[in-house]
Amino acid sequence: MDLGYLWAGFSVALSPLNLAIGFTGCFLGTLIGALPAIGPINGIALLLPIAYTMGLPPESTMILLAGIYIGAEYGGRISSILLNVPGDAGAVMTALDGNPLARQGRAGEALMISGLASFVGGTLGVVGLTFFAPLLSTLAIGFGPAEYFVLMIFAFATLGSMVGSQPVKTLIGCVIGLMLATIGLDATSGAYRFTFNEPELGDGIEFVVLVIGLFSISEAMFMLEHQAKGGSVIKVAGRTFARWADIVRCIGPALRSSVIGFTVGVLPGTGASVASAVSYTTEKRLSDREGTFGKGDVRGLAAPEAANNATAAGAFVPMLTLGVPGSGTTAVMLGALMLYNIQPGPQLFAERPELIGGLIASLYIGNILLLILNLPLVRVFSRVLQLPNWVLVPGILVLSIVGVYSTHASVLAVVMMLGIGVVGWLLRKLGFDMAPIILGFVLGRVMEVNLRNALAISGGDLSILFQSTISIVLWIMAAAMALLPFVLGRLARRAAAPSPQVS
Amino acid sequence: MTVSTGPRGAGRSDRVGAIVLLVFALLYGFEASRIAYSFSSDPLGPRVFPLMLAGALALLSLIYLLRPGGAEPWPQGRLLAHALAIPGLVLAAALLLEPLGFAVSVTILVTGVGRLFGASWHYAVVGGLAQAALWFVVFRYLLEVYLPGGAVFGI
Repeated sequence: MDLGYLWAGFSVALSPLNLAIGFTGCFLGTLIGALPAIGPINGIALLLPIAYTMGLPPESTMILLAGIYIGAEYGGRISSILLNVPGDAGAVMTALDGNPLARQGRAGEALMISGLASFVGGTLGVVGLTFFAPLLSTLAIGFGPAEYFVLMIFAFATLGSMVGSQPVKTLIGCVIGLMLATIGLDATSGAYRFTFNEPELGDGIEFVVLVIGLFSISEAMFMLEHQAKGGSVIKVAGRTFARWADIVRCIGPALRSSVIGFTVGVLPGTGASVASAVSYTTEKRLSDREGTFGKGDVRGLAAPEAANNATAAGAFVPMLTLGVPGSGTTAVMLGALMLYNIQPGPQLFAERPELIGGLIASLYIGNILLLILNLPLVRVFSRVLQLPNWVLVPGILVLSIVGVYSTHASVLAVVMMLGIGVVGWLLRKLGFDMAPIILGFVLGRVMEVNLRNALAISGGDLSILFQSTISIVLWIMAAAMALLPFVLGRLARRAAAPSPQVS
Repeated sequence: MTVSTGPRGAGRSDRVGAIVLLVFALLYGFEASRIAYSFSSDPLGPRVFPLMLAGALALLSLIYLLRPGGAEPWPQGRLLAHALAIPGLVLAAALLLEPLGFAVSVTILVTGVGRLFGASWHYAVVGGLAQAALWFVVFRYLLEVYLPGGAVFGI
């Protein structure tokens, strides 16, 4: 396999500017992850417009955002372990065994075990990304418009069945995102759609306005009611170096969970929260013979941490090769590329090897930086857990205004961001997740353009959508994904049914 | 995370939400059917995809209407006023940004939101001044992002 792109990437990622940017990203990411309220997607939404207006080249912006993403996956464990409040969605499972360990006075060991597991998962994930991405992009070269359209259908089917507790709400979110993407000038026909003769809407809803509205304004409003009830932060005391026996016991779970996490990451739209849940339940089933999971078992700590870090790397695979984000956070990064007029897809490997290579190389470097930041320096980050919301939330809002104002220099954009934020808050109160909206939004134009191009090729004949082997396979995969929850539900019921007879 | 229907009010807000989404789908579909265009190089044109989306949202919101659940209870009284005060303060800060400048509008925003999140007046004002100074230095000198100086720091 030709890995030349990776070597070219290292020369990009190792330039002094990009090294400094990568370090900044990892540092801020760990900080953002450790803060109980906000996760990688909020952090990236806030810093993207600022990176863009600073005039950073696209590869540097990507390196910054990727650093924040993987940094937050490391940092999320700190608040799960020390505060029993997950630092972000991927660290929910980490609290199950991490916090009991901390309460037994083994916080330092728990942080070290989970930091090492994060490193294993993160690094294996990047190795997977390195080999898998060129492979998938070679396969995707054969994709025509029809195949792309069916790929989007598969992506939404996966989202509906895997993300969130209520598939209907996930899918409604996707459709809302798709609808928002139709606003503005239609390039094919020159028609203005849903603009109500407002020139401001001619270019459609600006991406920065949408993400900041959804991930920062609505977040701040939501946080007002959901303030983490002043739980006490457990001090890191006692031994900070984990027992060798514990480390050895975690090797198996960490390796298995890395594979699970990477696979879930590659699936469109399914991020760290799904991966850590799947890996934790798998590991519990495989190795919890003494019933110690949930009471402070180091293996139950290593599994979800390895998984959520592997997911972050896996999520880049479909985003970079197909233009279909593997998680909510990579959806925002996809939108960031679009700000630079770069449309990810199989041709990106040939056209911008320095961009993809630089990004992947920065993930290797980032994992090493993060290991250093998260093992010896973990006490520094544990301090931010005491940051009160009356400092944090206004800070988020200042960054939001600056981001929107500096990219658009208009107060109207700020007003629109607020409108979107309030609607987002209403939807969140109804139990909707914001990530599917962003996924729908970034995929909307591509989905429509490919459908219309496919039918232009066939002269309006719908059978083109079912012609090639690739599209038939994708339809079958989409159907399988859509049916998955029903099958799993039935299996679970069948597994549960015999037990009353036994007892 | 478990889905709970919660108190009776929550199921009702699910149903209201579903109906609002359904109405929105119909309005969007109506607007889509009126998109004006003279020529399109593809057989589908600019109307069909939006119409498909309208149909999908209408169908999904009907399913949601029939199987409600998962909504949180709404905040009442002061909490509701505080939640809505957040976008209000951001709007005020945005409107004051150009006339009064970054430092002043950030001080107002941070102090106001700090109060909403439980800081005493004393802490909120000190926090406001400190954050205004911090962000001003970060953006103006460290990141070199343009910010309006306004009447106070109009340099």
